[in-house]
Amino acid sequence: MKGSIYTIFYSAVLAVVCALLLTSANAFTRPHIEANKAAERMRNILEVLEVPGVEKAGSKELTQIYEEKVSEKQYGTLNVYETADGAVAVPFAGPGLWGQVKGFLALESDKKTILGVTFYEQEETPGLGGEIGAQWFRDQFRGKSLRGKDGKPGILIVRDGNAAPNGVDAISGATMTCDKVQAMLNEVIGTIVKELGHDVQ
Amino acid sequence: MSNSAPPAIGGACGQGLCGGKCKEILREGVWGNNPISIQILGVCSALAVTNKLENSIVMGVALIFVCAMSNLLVSLLRNATPRRIRMIAEVAIIATFVIVFDLFLKAFYFEMSKSLGPYVGLIITNCIVMGRAEAYALRNPPMMAVVDGVANGLGYAAVLVIIGFFRELIGSGKLLDIVVLSDNWYIPNQMMILAPGAFLALGFLIALANYIKPRQEEETK
Repeated sequence: MKGSIYTIFYSAVLAVVCALLLTSANAFTRPHIEANKAAERMRNILEVLEVPGVEKAGSKELTQIYEEKVSEKQYGTLNVYETADGAVAVPFAGPGLWGQVKGFLALESDKKTILGVTFYEQEETPGLGGEIGAQWFRDQFRGKSLRGKDGKPGILIVRDGNAAPNGVDAISGATMTCDKVQAMLNEVIGTIVKELGHDVQ
Repeated sequence: MSNSAPPAIGGACGQGLCGGKCKEILREGVWGNNPISIQILGVCSALAVTNKLENSIVMGVALIFVCAMSNLLVSLLRNATPRRIRMIAEVAIIATFVIVFDLFLKAFYFEMSKSLGPYVGLIITNCIVMGRAEAYALRNPPMMAVVDGVANGLGYAAVLVIIGFFRELIGSGKLLDIVVLSDNWYIPNQMMILAPGAFLALGFLIALANYIKPRQEEETK
């Protein structure tokens, strides 16, 4: 009985000590961590909108450039990040093959042509599905239309897709990832077409 | 597994830092009883994070820190800890230091924290840390436990750095993100940065360590 009381007492003291250590470490690092996360988000938005001077900027400069160039706007249910010349970055997210995929889709000022795509969070297979983050894959999106030849909104990520005005080449060996990315992009494109009131062609 | 420490080691702490045992403990951790190449512990993270040299270094530093600090605390508390809950106590201590390290990484080395992903948190379940706490810190004085923690952390770090060196060099032609093998004439072997490369590199390393070690022992006999 005496041993049990001591054991409980010991556990309680150890738990309190560990909790205190963690609380103080957390309190100390929190402002830095939050600044990092905010800077990371700004960096992604600025990069997809192709604002120059972002690559080597520290978090303070990033904040400055961001506040200067980007304003947050809302079109109906659609939140966008818009630059002065009218280019917009739209966040999107959806399930990938292994985990959540998150990114931004940027449109040129006509809001019909794709400027670029980034994926800032993805856990797809490195070398296969993970290639969605690679430059060659993302570069294909530049200048593509939000609509196909038949006027239907949506993007195609298929084999030899690059020939279509709204298509890009898929990644060999990563059909699942490509299909899922296509689905999440089409979802956001659907919202864009609806909320930005593109004329029905 | 009696609770009493061997008197020779227990009493040695008074003289010097750890009674001239430092060198021996260090040599055991890094080479003679290396946690990865000899004991085959901590292999999961050794395979997962070694595709770049920088990752390997940071992961090694993390393990040295966690192993030393948790060994210190476990050793300080060794006479106060009830035997029945000693493992829970060890896990609590280890987890605390791992989370502290993870927080600092996120705060001051954000890029690295992103590329190491969940593997820093997974140090909690690294057999090396728990193994040293159980096998060494519980029955040895604090100073020696710290040295032992550092030694085993170093042993782990050394293996990771060697694997990371070859995987980054062969797999992407770079070292610490600086191009070493120009892509004008070198085609990176991507397999080395994927999982098979990790198994291959670790296998070679363990084979090599086990080839050299018995010969060395024979020579010293």
